Amino acid sequence: MAEVRIAPQHRSVEILASKLRRRSIVGSRATALETLLVLRQVISKARFSNINQLVEIIRSVGRRLVEAQPKEHSVGNTVRKVLHHIREEYQTATRGTSTTTQTSFSISKFVLQGQPKRQATVPKTEIRGTLRENDSDDPDSFARGLKPVLMEAIQDVLDELETVYDNVAKNAKDHIHPDEIILTLGMSRTVETFLKTAAHGRNYTVIVAETAPSYSGREMAKSLSLAGISTFLVPDSSIYGLMSRVNKVILGAHVILANGGMFAITGSLVAATAARAHSTPVVVCAGQFKLTPLWNLYHEYGAHDFGNPSDVLGFEEADLVDKVDVVNPYYDYVHPDLIDAFITNDGDHPPSSIYRHVFNRLLKETYDDEDNEL
Amino acid sequence: MSSKAAPAGKDKLIDEDEEVLQAVILADSFNKRFRPLTTRKPRCLLPICNAPLLDWTFESLALAGVQEVFVICRSHAQLVKEAIKESKWSKPGSGMKIVPIMTAKETFSPGDAMRDIYTRGLVTSDFVLVMGDLVSNIRIDEVVRVHKERRKTNKDAIMTMVVKESGVRHRTRARGESSVFVLDRETSECLYYEALTGYPRNNVVRIPREMLATHPEVEIRNDLIDCSIDVCSVEVPSLFQDNFDYLDIRRDFVHGILTSDLLMKNIHCYVAKDGYAARVQDTRSYESISKDILSRWTFPLVPDDNHPGGHIYEHTRGNRYIAKDDSVVLARTCKIGTNTLIGSSTQVSENASIDASVIGQHCNIGAGSTVSNSYIFENTVIGANCTIERSIIGAGVNIKDNTHIAKGCLIGDGVIVGPDSVIQPYERLSTRQGPPVNGNDDNDDEEDDSDLEEVEASMFLGDSASDLDISDAGSISSDSDSESDFSDTDSHAELESSAGRSDLSLPLDMPSIIPGSGLMADSEFRIEVKQSLERAFSEGHSVENAAVELKTLRMASNVPLSRVKEAVVAAIVEKIPIVDGDPAVQRRKIAAVVGRWGELINRIGGVDPIETVCILQAHCATSTRMPLFGQILAALYQEDIVEEDDIRAWHKLPIAQGEGRKPGPETENLQRCLTIGAHMIRQFDEQESDSEEEESEDEVLKAGKVVAKPVKVEETPETTEESESEDDDSKSSGDVSKEADSTDVEEDGESSEDSEE
Repeated sequence: MAEVRIAPQHRSVEILASKLRRRSIVGSRATALETLLVLRQVISKARFSNINQLVEIIRSVGRRLVEAQPKEHSVGNTVRKVLHHIREEYQTATRGTSTTTQTSFSISKFVLQGQPKRQATVPKTEIRGTLRENDSDDPDSFARGLKPVLMEAIQDVLDELETVYDNVAKNAKDHIHPDEIILTLGMSRTVETFLKTAAHGRNYTVIVAETAPSYSGREMAKSLSLAGISTFLVPDSSIYGLMSRVNKVILGAHVILANGGMFAITGSLVAATAARAHSTPVVVCAGQFKLTPLWNLYHEYGAHDFGNPSDVLGFEEADLVDKVDVVNPYYDYVHPDLIDAFITNDGDHPPSSIYRHVFNRLLKETYDDEDNEL
Repeated sequence: MSSKAAPAGKDKLIDEDEEVLQAVILADSFNKRFRPLTTRKPRCLLPICNAPLLDWTFESLALAGVQEVFVICRSHAQLVKEAIKESKWSKPGSGMKIVPIMTAKETFSPGDAMRDIYTRGLVTSDFVLVMGDLVSNIRIDEVVRVHKERRKTNKDAIMTMVVKESGVRHRTRARGESSVFVLDRETSECLYYEALTGYPRNNVVRIPREMLATHPEVEIRNDLIDCSIDVCSVEVPSLFQDNFDYLDIRRDFVHGILTSDLLMKNIHCYVAKDGYAARVQDTRSYESISKDILSRWTFPLVPDDNHPGGHIYEHTRGNRYIAKDDSVVLARTCKIGTNTLIGSSTQVSENASIDASVIGQHCNIGAGSTVSNSYIFENTVIGANCTIERSIIGAGVNIKDNTHIAKGCLIGDGVIVGPDSVIQPYERLSTRQGPPVNGNDDNDDEEDDSDLEEVEASMFLGDSASDLDISDAGSISSDSDSESDFSDTDSHAELESSAGRSDLSLPLDMPSIIPGSGLMADSEFRIEVKQSLERAFSEGHSVENAAVELKTLRMASNVPLSRVKEAVVAAIVEKIPIVDGDPAVQRRKIAAVVGRWGELINRIGGVDPIETVCILQAHCATSTRMPLFGQILAALYQEDIVEEDDIRAWHKLPIAQGEGRKPGPETENLQRCLTIGAHMIRQFDEQESDSEEEESEDEVLKAGKVVAKPVKVEETPETTEESESEDDDSKSSGDVSKEADSTDVEEDGESSEDSEE
């Protein structure tokens, strides 16, 4: 039934799915934004007469997109987040008539919903009249009533995504101190903004590893030095050698898993291991949308996203192409015990609580348990 | 941005960036290399890595942002049509509109297909032309952009061919069909193209000399994979329509356009540095492209990411891909080697081992069997204790216990083999016995069916040089000389294979580079030219008009340029009236004729003064105007048709020495001409010596002596000419370094002779 209902929106979903499959969109934030736009389109066109139908529509879209590109976790995360917001809005709306006035916190509500949240408690648009599900006279009345609120909820997620870099960076000065030496690798917009924000009125040095074979570190180094930060670009091989002088390793993440491990650009594992050997703290900067309620318990091989060997070995090297198997993973899996702190737009999470506390709390707050499997 | 630059409406081809990008797929291979696998279905529906080739092609085009695709299908057109209908591409949201076009059975070549495209009026703007067996991740849209950009400034740039850099001995290069490209380094314009077929091999490719004069830097490359991705403008199909004898897009069309001096169209190349593109042209490239896909060169077109068949595979260590739907049953003791793909619902029994192979869906590999480097299509059952090496096994094949299949075998769909049989290398098996069972008219045409009987005989060992036999291809001796093959060597520079760039190799049996329309009888042509010139002389045409007339004549009768030149020189010489007794009057007459018509020699195409002098000499030797040779030569020199250097170069040529001719009055005349030439050279030297130092005077003396007796320095006329042409064009690039070498040799020879004197 849900299949039939989403038929009209199929087109935009399919286009995004094929874009994801063909890697025309890359990058967590870009995919998250695209997903959100598609979801907004889907919801605005969807016809539903109760909450379950709506949830099912969105889940099916989510399933389709995740299937198209299982390695891009921010798609699933965005869908989960939107679902979470929809349920929240729905609850506020249905309870609205009776309970919106009751703004005080009860312990039962705290247990039910987790910690109180900033946005959630502020009621959105006043919903005119009462929402009635499965109204046989006017099946669209439920959708009509709920849609404006949902649009606002999606707008909230959108806003969050748009300001994510700045929000991650807002406490940068607490983490980087004058005359420190920071090591980073790859080109991560989050880390870039973080470092640049910290550089206001503070002198410190950044060592950027080249990050072969993408050499995105070069771009990062260029950007940082243009911003007036004293920057060194070093080959990846010297990461270990330089580690003794480094005060802090700051990494970006592709996805943060529920156990506190993460996938990040190739070379991150080397850097984190070297840092562990020198007891250098490893700090990860990432937007909250990268938190995923998934695990990498079996160390799935394909999750490293193996790319094109031509970055490593030219295709014109005819004799070698035949004899050499080139393995060119795009991501490294970094274990939770190699990471000391996560800095997200939802605050900083101290190392001690990464595993249990932070993730249980954060995930509960962001996603609903039932959506872990889309 | 560009829509404003060009006047709207006028050039609909170029100005709109928003325009729908069209592609044309020629889904028919027009050959039978995959028989018997292709008896029941077209090649473009053969699976590679468990997805039909056509789907890979669609995916490659989708990756490039193509929105509308025309699939031209001929054999098994109905099957192709159905396959397209059922594929994911015809669902909404695929972003691509696919229109299958069924052409007539009479379409036997890509050229016919192009004419069909023209008559149907399918394409409305620049389009991408690919074959139905392409696997690529090249950004074709980028090529289209470059092409359109170029078209803005140069309307004659009608086509851009995409080629991929690769090594000489790259596995993905089809050994059967490689080609030599001569490119301008700056503009990447393709100046000359010659296709090579695999067997027999040849080490010589001939490149028109005129090219070096106009292009200071050329690259001669044999290390490119021709991906058969062409960005064509709308003119291309109409050119095919005009030249109805064009069959192949490369051998006839590209070669024809580039060698034609009437059409004045340019073809460019796009040398792709990044990305991957290759065509499944034969069984060998089938193997290498499968390997390339499995080792992820085609990323993101890889089995675990964007499989065109929509299957989902799990990528595990060592590039092993196993279908992800938990339907694959792998026995605990089986061995799965690296670079292997196993389709869904396939069972692999105890102790079986699979290495570097692709196994289709619903297959069953028996206990203790070994499959290596092989490609097994769906629903195939392999019994216990079989070995299969480097072969392609069709769909629904049943190979019974203890069967051994050696390398290079192709087993057609539905064949039952065994038990306990041994299949020799390069055998091809198919099911059909005797006359065709299938009377369906959308099956193959009769020609194919009769051909099938041979397949039954099934030993295709010899002709498979371009096939799966990797070990054999290298061993074919490469010393077959073909210098005597071409009669018009005079107008060509010859390039021997140099170790530096690549092994330039050419087949002897170049299939119809010059369409075999039959050369017009030589004498007939001569008469035509003579008449045409007489008319021009008597009616006082302008030189341009006469030149155009001659060019057309040459095109019509399809003769080499040198013939025309001979005829023109002869006509001019004969035009000079002989005046007895008064050298001054005679000289004036000559000057008048040469002054009026001499330029024609250079206008008819291909400026080559040395050749001109040679022809003049040869003509005078047989003509009554022999005594006038010196004066005519002087007149030509005065008119700047020949230069001093040219006369010197001519003088050294073995042909000019009368080498290789029977002694007789002609040879004497030739020698006499030579002496006159020597006189002239001496005069030049004297003129020079006025301004130069004493040293040069010594040289004059030596030169005079050298002239006296025949010089034997060079081996072949071609080499010498080449070195001269290098002199003409001192800016020639390093790519032609071989020529420079030969020049050195020559100088050395001279100096050694000097010292003898």
